[in-house]
Amino acid sequence: VKLAISPACMGHGLCYSLASELFEDEDDGYGTVRRSGEVPSDQEDLARRAVSNCPEGAISLS
Amino acid sequence: VPEIAVRSLDTALLTRADTRPKGRHVTDHAEDAPLSVADLPVADDRDLAWQLIEAAGDVIAVNGTYAVTTAAHVETVLRDPATFSSKRAFDALNSPLPLVPLAFDPPEQTRYRRILQPFFSPRMVRPLEAKLRSDLRALIEPLLDRGECDFVKEIAEPFPVHTFLAFFGLPDDMIDQFMDWKNGILGSTDASGAMPENPAPEAIELYTYLAGLVQERRGVAGDDVLSELLNLTGDDALTDAEAIGLSFLFVLAGLDTVAGSLSMGMERLARNPAHRQELVDDPSLVPAAIEELVRLDPPAPFVPRVTTEDTTIGDHIVPAGSLVSAYLAVANRDPAGRANPLEMDFHRADNAHASFGLGPHRCLGSHLARLEMLVVYEEWHKLIPDYEIAPGADPRVRWPSGTLGIESLPLVFPKRQR
Repeated sequence: VKLAISPACMGHGLCYSLASELFEDEDDGYGTVRRSGEVPSDQEDLARRAVSNCPEGAISLS
Repeated sequence: VPEIAVRSLDTALLTRADTRPKGRHVTDHAEDAPLSVADLPVADDRDLAWQLIEAAGDVIAVNGTYAVTTAAHVETVLRDPATFSSKRAFDALNSPLPLVPLAFDPPEQTRYRRILQPFFSPRMVRPLEAKLRSDLRALIEPLLDRGECDFVKEIAEPFPVHTFLAFFGLPDDMIDQFMDWKNGILGSTDASGAMPENPAPEAIELYTYLAGLVQERRGVAGDDVLSELLNLTGDDALTDAEAIGLSFLFVLAGLDTVAGSLSMGMERLARNPAHRQELVDDPSLVPAAIEELVRLDPPAPFVPRVTTEDTTIGDHIVPAGSLVSAYLAVANRDPAGRANPLEMDFHRADNAHASFGLGPHRCLGSHLARLEMLVVYEEWHKLIPDYEIAPGADPRVRWPSGTLGIESLPLVFPKRQR
């Protein structure tokens, strides 16, 4: 599965705080996916948690 | 249950005018019994107050303005700046110049955020952590042998306020003056966001001070945010008006919100020893606890916007030029958002909330605020794990008010054993 962040991201920073294995922060505080969004199979629950905790609903998992 | 609050809220229930073809109109009951938010029991029982508002409806008329109370409506209002504009929404604060970037809409607001965001990003605030921890320990140290303190006066206010003044670049020895200005300006506001009858004279005083300060500080090097902002060049350079409007906003936000959050959060922990013990036993829960405490007690729980055109929110018609406030504390308790929304739970898997706002105006200081709260809740519980509200004390939330906080929180705890 793959993670993506849409332009709805407003830089709340919950994703890289909750799941630093999957996301990191840019200089201005916006989130970005690591490894082009590839989610290791043992981190799929964490990825789902990041999706559901994004205040802007900006993270998708496909 | 204070009867008067319930009664006045009953009158706020929407008239279900199903006969009207274009949807229901929100009716202000000013003629019979106006809904007065001042009557809500926020001071003594804010959880009850938010439940009463939720029961009043998803869109309610309040003092000639509109309040939206569900998570879905709050998202609608805060994510659509073309319809719900910020431009006139903060007039109640009486700033002679528009607040940057709060009182602007995209695309102007987008430019301001692009300029400001790097100064407030996690990469900028993380390096402050060690200094914040030692500053806080220095505040807590003298309390250990005393066995009592006023948490608000001795921790919740001084810690974030001194931190902000240093970070932004304002003189620390003027702390009392800044607090007076901030309290005067915010104290004149209420939950509706409507213009106060008596706009605060402190607004002009703060403006006059900042106008002089901006002149003084232009071209002077410094590693604080204001110095760096004033020395930007090219497309990012800020005019005097922009720099003053920005400083005005930052004084209000930087001096009030974290203090308010900490005061209400610690009061909740003091009243819930089992939750407090969870943090003592497992400090790795603190980040989740911060989200939960801020969800339950947003310090700026009423976010105003003004409609640019006739619009509908849910089934309700809202005319152009209406002041609409997003009631974050109520929306954060929306049963659609999470199970058992009225309970405090530090183990929620899903806890997205709106306390730092949503959409383009998301709280710029949220990363600094979270770091400050992390430091306070971790260090405090390490040093003073066992505390309670002083017998006879009755901490109350300041109300009516546009921003929330507890003014005095006397705590007692075992003295340090030598």
